[in-house]
Amino acid sequence: MIAHLGPNLPHDLFDATGRNAGALRWNVDRAMPAADRWLESKFAPWTRSVVQDWADGALDHLEAVVFSRADDSAQRLYYYMCELRRTGAVRGPEPLMLDIAKIPRASSVARTEAALRALGARLGVDEAALRAAIARGNAARRESPALASGTAPVCLIAGSLLPDERLHRVAAQAGWRAQGRTLADEWTDRGPPVDETGDAFAALARQIHARALDTRGFHDRAGALAQQARVAGARAGLLWLIEEDDTSVWHLPAMRAALEGLGLPVMVATRRDWLCRDGIDLEMGAFLAGAVA
Amino acid sequence: MSSAPTANPSGQRSRKDLACTLAANAFQKQFGADLKRRVVDEGEPFAIVQADTPHEIFHVMDIPIITNQWWSAYISAKQLSNHYFEVMAEAGYPKNSCKYCSLGLACTLANDPKTAPWGGLPKPTVLVARMTCDCIQHVFGQWADALGSEFFPMEAPAWEHKDPRWFAHSKDQWEQVYDADRIALAVSEMRDLISLLENRTGRRFDEAKLHYLMERINEQEGYIWEAAQAIGKARPCPVSIAEQMPNTMIPQWHRGSDWAVNHARRFRDEVMERIAAGEGTAANEKIRLMWIGAGVWHDPGFYQALEERMGAVFVWSMYMPFAGPQYIRELQGRPMEALASRVCSMNEVLHLPPWMNGWMTSEAERCGIDACVVLLPPENRLSQSGTKITAEALESAGVPVLMIDADMVDAANWDHDRMVGMVADFLVRRGLA
Repeated sequence: MIAHLGPNLPHDLFDATGRNAGALRWNVDRAMPAADRWLESKFAPWTRSVVQDWADGALDHLEAVVFSRADDSAQRLYYYMCELRRTGAVRGPEPLMLDIAKIPRASSVARTEAALRALGARLGVDEAALRAAIARGNAARRESPALASGTAPVCLIAGSLLPDERLHRVAAQAGWRAQGRTLADEWTDRGPPVDETGDAFAALARQIHARALDTRGFHDRAGALAQQARVAGARAGLLWLIEEDDTSVWHLPAMRAALEGLGLPVMVATRRDWLCRDGIDLEMGAFLAGAVA
Repeated sequence: MSSAPTANPSGQRSRKDLACTLAANAFQKQFGADLKRRVVDEGEPFAIVQADTPHEIFHVMDIPIITNQWWSAYISAKQLSNHYFEVMAEAGYPKNSCKYCSLGLACTLANDPKTAPWGGLPKPTVLVARMTCDCIQHVFGQWADALGSEFFPMEAPAWEHKDPRWFAHSKDQWEQVYDADRIALAVSEMRDLISLLENRTGRRFDEAKLHYLMERINEQEGYIWEAAQAIGKARPCPVSIAEQMPNTMIPQWHRGSDWAVNHARRFRDEVMERIAAGEGTAANEKIRLMWIGAGVWHDPGFYQALEERMGAVFVWSMYMPFAGPQYIRELQGRPMEALASRVCSMNEVLHLPPWMNGWMTSEAERCGIDACVVLLPPENRLSQSGTKITAEALESAGVPVLMIDADMVDAANWDHDRMVGMVADFLVRRGLA
């Protein structure tokens, strides 16, 4: 079985292997001595869980794990795991990297296509198998359920990816409906339909290259956030950034201005604990109680 | 508005044993004045570039460049870093955002010609950076917007060929060491950059000039590498890293120029003369130290603080020995590809396993290192990266390691006496003093 970690990955190609174990899961609410030993403090928190699981043998049932180059923590972790396996410090699955290039330039699209072809060859996926998987994937995309709706006012949560829906529950307790992406949402997002005409690897490369969801994409984050707020009919915004975030921090002033420009009350919470053990629930509850819905 | 810039009272100047150090600093000071004249006073086209980009292209086209890291160090040396960190905070950026890469952006956003060095930078032709971490494209993208210019990013592609002994083969087997497809991508991007520069400036790129420049750079870095090898063998160490750094880096900013080649030769000669005379940076060398990380630009005197007291000499930092494996290239008739192999992994070999730990462990052995001090900037993943695995490898090789949480341009959490004391305590605790 083959697992994967990180954003912007080719789920259709994984499906085509017939051995797709899905995204790795994480649990950082535990002692992680292996992570303490090898990882520095600025790594994304979920990386600690992956290292610990690898060291504990919890991933030994896997043949390989595919890492995304579209996230800095993920790509660094790939080299760490390769080295730890080389030196015998850990065993477990073979780390593989998908070298996703994101610069809006033809050479970067070509690089991504070449990386997809190499990964396909490594995992035993030819063009015909990928084409069939893309067709199935597109059908699944068309059948995806619509976003949940309701009558409660919407609080848009943006910034770092959430660990789970714990802040959604805080919002619900305050009579609001939170809309914000979790790490799992990001990692399992198949993206828009893949072009089914022409070469399947080239089409998948174009889809991955164009996507605007990861830390290395070249897109207007503040503009996208404002559009998201308009579509959701948001009545408030929470800009929540964890200590380890080194992407959204650069867009915080623009994101804040974008939401405030829509007339929304905005709460800014920076340098926060990914597991929300720092009182964010109380702060958010008070903010929403005071926000005019 | 943030308060007026304040001086950092903690940092101390380094002692200069070599005449060439003074010459290098004087040259750089004059270069700074000339650069200011060309880009600010005369409005010549120029570029803002990261250190790990192909400067050689700009040198061939005679387009002045301001290197982000050099500009950050310049701002830091002017005691302005804390002021600009406050400017960023007032603009709404969290205080834990990466500082090393963003001082220049902060200076531009401050938009305060009275405070800024040179009155602030004018609009460059282009800004160029490799995508080596998650923050750099955002910093450079916003910096380009603020300056009304254009950002030319370069990919930092994944590296499949993982050779822990890359440094033994990189000079002549660079196509294998750095992956042919990665080199091809970098060449493609460099050709796009050249087209952009030619279109914007009217200046032409000449590959024959690049070939000549690359040969001159090989000569220059050969002198530096020769001196680095001699320093590794010499007892006592003739030159502290406080003087290795400027005599390596300043010529490297001007690599391949007549001045740079001549200065590298002069530096090599002075090092050899001191070795021949038995002159050491410390009167009684007892402990040979390795420094891993960027230089602490706000306190260069830190590196010499324990020389007389404990005979502890910082013998090694990455800058000087890096000249051999990462700069010298057999051209093989393909200067663009050779140049690409120089830049396409410049950051990776210093911050990722197996290259970082492989090289630094080997270097510790080559230089007879007794102990190592590692800089661990708390808010910079790239600079932190690989340090724990490298520390473990060094400890396994018998080299005690001290890791210190501090930043290379942010003096706020740095106190000279406390840091020196920390190193002294470590050396005592590990039985070295």
